Amino acid sequence: MNAHLLIQAVVLGLLAGGVYALMASGLTLIFGVMRVVNVAHAAMILTAAYVSWVLFTTFGLDPIASILVVMPAFFVGGALGQRFVLRHLGNRDMTLTVLVSFGIAIILEGLQGSIWSSNFQAINTSYAQSSFAIGDVYVPLVRLIAAGAALVVLGGLFLLLTRSNLGRAIRATTQDPRTAALVGVNVEQVTMIAFAIGVSVAAAGGPLLGVLFSFYPATQWLWIGKLLAIVVLGGMGSLRGTFAAAMILGLAEQIAAVYLPLDWAPLVFLMVLFGVLIVRPQGLFGSVARESL
Amino acid sequence: MNMRKQFPIVALALFLVLPVVVHEGFYLDLLLFTFMYAAMSVGWDIMGGYAGYVSLGTVGFFGLGSYAAGLLVIHAGIPVFASAPFIGIVTGILGAGLGWVSLRVRGTSFVIVTLTFASVAQFLMLDLRGITEGSSGLLLPLLNLPADQVILPFYYSMLALLVVAVLVSLAIRRSKFGLGLIAIREEEGKADGSGVNTSLYKILAFAISVSFAGAAGAIHAQYLNTITPDSEFELVITLSVIIMALVGGRGTVWGPVLGAFIIQPLSVYLIYLAPSGIAGQLHLVGLGVILVLVVMFLPNGIIPTWDAWRNARRRPPEVDVPGTTLPEVAS
Repeated sequence: MNAHLLIQAVVLGLLAGGVYALMASGLTLIFGVMRVVNVAHAAMILTAAYVSWVLFTTFGLDPIASILVVMPAFFVGGALGQRFVLRHLGNRDMTLTVLVSFGIAIILEGLQGSIWSSNFQAINTSYAQSSFAIGDVYVPLVRLIAAGAALVVLGGLFLLLTRSNLGRAIRATTQDPRTAALVGVNVEQVTMIAFAIGVSVAAAGGPLLGVLFSFYPATQWLWIGKLLAIVVLGGMGSLRGTFAAAMILGLAEQIAAVYLPLDWAPLVFLMVLFGVLIVRPQGLFGSVARESL
Repeated sequence: MNMRKQFPIVALALFLVLPVVVHEGFYLDLLLFTFMYAAMSVGWDIMGGYAGYVSLGTVGFFGLGSYAAGLLVIHAGIPVFASAPFIGIVTGILGAGLGWVSLRVRGTSFVIVTLTFASVAQFLMLDLRGITEGSSGLLLPLLNLPADQVILPFYYSMLALLVVAVLVSLAIRRSKFGLGLIAIREEEGKADGSGVNTSLYKILAFAISVSFAGAAGAIHAQYLNTITPDSEFELVITLSVIIMALVGGRGTVWGPVLGAFIIQPLSVYLIYLAPSGIAGQLHLVGLGVILVLVVMFLPNGIIPTWDAWRNARRRPPEVDVPGTTLPEVAS
């Protein structure tokens, strides 16, 4: 195959991978702390995309700037949701918590549809169509900006988790909540904050999704499929793994697009998901999942 | 308990003769959809209730069953009433394949795989345009029956599907297989340790569980005549099936049936109440809210909660003669 096309695909794949990493990292964080697959994650991202779209069309606020609006708002929403809904489920059957997040995904989809209709939307910024070339390789400006913004937020998340006391408490709770409680971590509060951070990081992904792709409420199911494939490949609960998996899948999708029609990308994700589960169920970086006895 | 035993037989007799008396299409249509959902919900409960593994992919099997039936009518002239049982079996084999991928490890991969499977199945039906005509869908030939009788074969096949589902669920509930599934739900590690082949049990339960969705989809295809990726992969189908099982009582034979008879009429009423442009959207919101509320406030469902309440009131407690009552459900 043509080397030029391959380099082009690698560049586009890495740029997409950065955004995927941001979207999936919240899912990983929530799974790590609560052992719950947040099925509503993509619905939350889309909600943020709609909010950003509204801010853009009514106030002309740049979608990248609107990240600064949606992140705190979703942090508060996530904290309240955890405190008043999820915590009530307590240590009851995990399957019930999954069902609640499924219910929330559906409520969000229905609300988005009734408020903003089920038609395609997209955030068309002034730079949406611009691009520049480095040698033969063509780089769409909007993708570069989105990947840059994603890396900034991810970098912040990484610093928070590795360099702060809160981050240490979150990682301790992820590894073993009971021992974390023994050494003085307020596990309930840390879980709430970690969930809220996860939702807020999801929200940061919304405006980026909005500038890169057109969307409508039901697209959440394709997105959650992609994100879950990333999280499984990365080893459930490992942030480093998520980042690597997002890059791999971003690349795989773009390289596959050289051979296959682009809208076949979801199949690439499904095949990777199945392949991982058959060959290495714990993912690339995961250890065998913690399990209560 | 005696009344509870006779009630289903009386109800079945009633539903069998009902179309002789009731000719309004509206009621027969409502009932046939209730039967359809009840059958799928009973199926879902074999996996989600007995074994405790929640599937979010029911509609994937329903939709593929529907397309398979549609293609068989169009290209081979096989009526759906003949193909539905076979489609059910083939769907079960497909379910076993998915189960093999996702059920050998414990935990969350099952939920992830079923959810992803449903959206990929819909996507395939949309994108394999050469076979499925893409978003415009398949047009099935009409049944050659007078207009006032055309609903009857659908009504009776969905009723038959429900009867089969309930009989299968009853048989599983009373077998060693069923006990193994419940052991998996309660304590999978210990079930494994006491000699239950957990992977095989789970895969088998899932295969049985989804075969009803495939068969229901097949009959549904002919009922609609035109099938599209949107009509056959509607999210509401998965959602309703789960809510019905939860409302009536997860892990019981009759809970999903009771749930279907409550939720389906309620759904139809909700859609009727809502402004027409966004009725579908508000229906989603309504069902989503019901799901969250049920999980939060009635997690065991009506039948187990009712039984627990009655047993608590009755003192001294009734002597439990083995085989006459279902084992206590805890979840």
